[in-house]
Amino acid sequence: MNAELLKGHLDLLLLAIIAERPAHGYAIIACLRERSAGAFDLPEGTVYPALHRLERAGLLQSRWAPGAGRSRRIYEITALGAEAMQERRATWGAFARGVQAVLGGAL
Amino acid sequence: MTPELGLIDEYLDRLALELRVDGRRARRILLEAEDHLRATAQQLGADGLPWREAEQRAIDRFGSPRTVARRFAAEAGGASLPRLGAELVLALGLLFGIGMSAIGASGLVAGGFGAAFGKSFVAGDANGVTYTPARCADFLEYFPRAGNCEAAATAHHFDEVVLYRVAAGVVGLLALGGWWLLRRGAKRRRSGALPEGFSATIGVALFGLAAAGLIGLGGMQLLFGQPAGAGGLISGGVIALAVFAGFARSFVRGLSAAVPA
Repeated sequence: MNAELLKGHLDLLLLAIIAERPAHGYAIIACLRERSAGAFDLPEGTVYPALHRLERAGLLQSRWAPGAGRSRRIYEITALGAEAMQERRATWGAFARGVQAVLGGAL
Repeated sequence: MTPELGLIDEYLDRLALELRVDGRRARRILLEAEDHLRATAQQLGADGLPWREAEQRAIDRFGSPRTVARRFAAEAGGASLPRLGAELVLALGLLFGIGMSAIGASGLVAGGFGAAFGKSFVAGDANGVTYTPARCADFLEYFPRAGNCEAAATAHHFDEVVLYRVAAGVVGLLALGGWWLLRRGAKRRRSGALPEGFSATIGVALFGLAAAGLIGLGGMQLLFGQPAGAGGLISGGVIALAVFAGFARSFVRGLSAAVPA
């Protein structure tokens, strides 16, 4: 899938994954790839800047936690993040239904 | 057993150089990147890939250091026009400094050619060039031991070729010193706003053309039995070729880093 197309929705996808349970970057990206069946295949290193931005915006918070011989940064969603995710999910749902309705009619 | 220093370590070193963020943030980014890369490589290794190949695959999936650093810069607010201008000035300053230093080095090579093959090889006039008696008198006044007008003119031209080029080289070295100082000061503020390989691309084109032109012209003079002055061209061409090789190496390395294997 076009990476530019994905970028517009990356925040919602990240928030949705992290809302399920706190996770470190590697697990978040693995989840993104697995659930999309490889369709969301963007350079993995470019997801971290998005996580940092969401944290600066107060939608995520993070902390170091001991991992397999290394410290790992664990991200979890904030109350503000959960609220933002619900709003964006609703917006996306309306948008997707609209697109589907048009495509369904055209096909 | 995994090697102590490997591709991931090299990648992290390159990422550290590319990041344009404050120290604390850079440390966090590097730690997260290292954790991610090693976790990916370990997973790929567990799936049966040899360790070095697993490291390379993990790096390819992560993205080039420049790509990742630029995304961090963009997410932090992007590159402003002044930052872009500062990086452009630095890049052009580097090219200017290298270019002028190369001219200086070609002056030294020309001096060597003169000592080895005679001044005429470097700065001799083409067949049929003549001077007025007044001009000849000028040349002979500066080089009374030359014996005749042609030899005095050649000695004059040779000195000009060598001294002017070396003077340009001194300017080049000063420019490179200034560039180094500015770069040190600007490092934290750089945003990676210029395209990857900007200087290398211009350098390859500029010095490649110069090398081909100068060596080609000098070689043709030799080929057609007109060696006078050929050394002046070839001395410049040889240095241009060396600088071209340096930029080409940087250019190819940049391409390798940008394009996944």
